[in-house]
Amino acid sequence: MSDLFNILSLSSSAMAAQADRLRHVSENIANADTPGYQRKTAPFEQVVEQGQKTGAVQSGPVELDQTPVRKVFDPGHPMAGEDGYYDSSNVDIMVELADAREAQRSYEANLKMFDQARQMSTSLLELLRR
Amino acid sequence: MDIRSANAAIGYASTRPATAPKPEVSGQSAGGKVAQAFGSFAQELQQSESVAQAGMTGGADSQSLVQALAQTELAVEAAVTVRDKVVEAYQEILRMPV
Repeated sequence: MSDLFNILSLSSSAMAAQADRLRHVSENIANADTPGYQRKTAPFEQVVEQGQKTGAVQSGPVELDQTPVRKVFDPGHPMAGEDGYYDSSNVDIMVELADAREAQRSYEANLKMFDQARQMSTSLLELLRR
Repeated sequence: MDIRSANAAIGYASTRPATAPKPEVSGQSAGGKVAQAFGSFAQELQQSESVAQAGMTGGADSQSLVQALAQTELAVEAAVTVRDKVVEAYQEILRMPV
């Protein structure tokens, strides 16, 4: 029974991590046109409690993508330099969309595991009721 | 064969210890375990209650709220099933023809 309860908390931690990841993706997409914005990522890491790995996952500290920002030619832009270029963000919408889809699929997988553990323990108790 | 009321009383008294619970079962181990189980059950309920409160006020995310509620549901279901079994067994004993 405690194994099944553990599955519930592990799946819940993974779902929280994926939701956090999707939040960073939406931040990146929202700031895709912000001048000088650097793409944010939060790599996942294992949860360690009292020196022991619990098997749960969490999103780690936020890191800024260090790839150079796009140069956009727009002489009318207020931030444009002498040559008519200004620094845009380094967000690639395609990469963000793929990341969002991956987060969605992973969330669904964890939700399925959650539901399965719940169904298993419910049917186990159903056995006693007859 | 002498059948007297005193004999019956003595016989009854001599069989009474058979129905008394064994000390090593009822004393520390089994009773303690049951108490422990109910303690952890109450703890589970309390924990999920606080998480549910935090979820309502925006302190916890929805995943942990759902997890706490599902865990409580399973714990309550387990406790109710065990209680039903115990009551059923007791009623079975009461129905025994004497």
